[in-house]
Amino acid sequence: MHNLRRRKGRAIFLVVGLLIGVATVVTLLSLTDALGMRAQHELEKFGANIIITPHSEQMALSYGGVQLAGVNLVAEELQQSSLVNIDSIPNRRNIAMIAPKVLGAIDVKGQRAMLMGVDPEVEFKLKRWWSIAGRHVQQGPELVVGDTVARRFNLTMGDTLEISGQNFTVVGLLDKTGSQDDHLLITPLPVAQEVLGKQGLVSMVEIAALCHDCPVADMVNQLQQVLPGVDVQAVQQVVKTRMHALGQFRLLAWGVAVTVVIIGALLVFVTMMGAISERTREIGIFRAIGYRRRHVLHLVLMEAAIVSAVAGVLGYLTGVLATLTALPLLDGGEIHWQWNPTLAVAAVFAAVLVGLLASLQPALRASRLEPNEALRAL
Amino acid sequence: MNLINLKQVTKRYINGADCVTALHEVSLNVDEGTFLGVMGPSGSGKSTLLSALGGLTSPSSGTVNIDGIDVYGLSHEKQADFRREYLGFIFQSHNLIPYLNALENVMLPLVVTKLSSTEKRQRASSMLEKVGLPDRMLHLPQQLSGGEQERVAIARSLVNNPPLLLADEPTGSLDSATSLQVMNLLAELHQGGQTIVMVTHNRENLEWVDRTVYLRDGLIEKDTIGGSIGTLPQAM
Repeated sequence: MHNLRRRKGRAIFLVVGLLIGVATVVTLLSLTDALGMRAQHELEKFGANIIITPHSEQMALSYGGVQLAGVNLVAEELQQSSLVNIDSIPNRRNIAMIAPKVLGAIDVKGQRAMLMGVDPEVEFKLKRWWSIAGRHVQQGPELVVGDTVARRFNLTMGDTLEISGQNFTVVGLLDKTGSQDDHLLITPLPVAQEVLGKQGLVSMVEIAALCHDCPVADMVNQLQQVLPGVDVQAVQQVVKTRMHALGQFRLLAWGVAVTVVIIGALLVFVTMMGAISERTREIGIFRAIGYRRRHVLHLVLMEAAIVSAVAGVLGYLTGVLATLTALPLLDGGEIHWQWNPTLAVAAVFAAVLVGLLASLQPALRASRLEPNEALRAL
Repeated sequence: MNLINLKQVTKRYINGADCVTALHEVSLNVDEGTFLGVMGPSGSGKSTLLSALGGLTSPSSGTVNIDGIDVYGLSHEKQADFRREYLGFIFQSHNLIPYLNALENVMLPLVVTKLSSTEKRQRASSMLEKVGLPDRMLHLPQQLSGGEQERVAIARSLVNNPPLLLADEPTGSLDSATSLQVMNLLAELHQGGQTIVMVTHNRENLEWVDRTVYLRDGLIEKDTIGGSIGTLPQAM
């Protein structure tokens, strides 16, 4: 400590050098983490990532990018009562939402249209990107109408539409989504089951699984086991694309981090070598008065550890500050930083480790100095 | 009883094709409690002799025994232990650690011992009192005069109670008045039974010694009782 205080300039130089390295690593890793969390958050907002459909050999209708068994043809439907089995899978805690729906073709004003029955409590939470003028359906014969179908039948809020002899009130108009949803008439599940003659049946189930780390493929297998005779598919393409991009960024972050750490280590190495050269005489005194080689080694490494630990703590704090500054500039400021205690501990530990490793050779050199050679006084 | 026993110690320094013999088959016995002065012209081997005694320079041949221990038969680490337990060094230029105060400098040899912090501090402060610096303990070396620095160096060399004190030109950088104080201090230690080997250029310092060896070209040219070595050569 005395030596560090005396050679403040060198100590500060070492601390700043290592601090920059640690701060860079912490910033990059924190940003990667935050972006990962953001991707996960978006994934959750994106909606379902597992879709269950009746098993069918025929290709009939595509919904949400998934081929459904013939909803307008003769096909088996899922028994709604069997859905309780979903709760029995090992990863049931990862399931956030189960959204069953029944689909069927109906006649409206002499034209064919698609009716979809949904669980209003779940469906509208799942489809967060739906923008609805009016309100959600709640119960009874109410409709939320897709943009295309609304134009086709010239429907506005409050209109009444007769379907299978029953009058439905339009309570909401779905803004254009650019997907199949624009063609749908959406009504509560029991109403649709009754109109379509599919009581107790569902055409498909969308599941939102909160799977930051859990294996979706495993959940698909588990669902397949508890729901025999159905097709379970994971919607992973978007997630995988995002995760792949994130993986590339993470790789880049690690690349930069490793480079910075190597530069930091070289800085410590060169500075410590200089310090040892400067302190040769001093080391000679220590050795002459009876310090063993390991005592000298311990002295030098202790100094390196103190400097590195200070650099680690300050570097971590600087990294956090840099992350907090950088985050609002990314993705419209919707990403939030979360304290990661593991990263904090790892940053300090890594700084000390790098400091010690980089100082090892200079310390060994110091400890191997022969006292007489070092002193040149006697 | 012999504390120091050198047997045919030769030390050669080889630098490329050049070979310099600093000590040539030097044999020397020194009794416990002796104050030995070592004189000689530059390059005569005085410093090499002191280094050899201090376990700092391994002889090319011959043996160095201190208190019955074959110093160079010990491993490097044991030699360090030996220096700590048996020897006290007083360097020519004090060699105090500039960023440590007087007390910390004196405590240095004790740092690697198993004594408690309190005991280390007590021993160092009592040693500083002994050399007459009770009010300078917290001063840094640059805040001390040359004589005071020398006394701190002496206190540091004695703090381990070593049987043998090796002093290299202890008054080399001091004025005559301060030199006198330092030599009186060494004499006091000697009277207390301390064995001292002192290399000096200053003939006046020999007044305090009870035996003198005069080295020339790596050989002991004269070995006399007391500080008298007769007429000294001009080359000194």
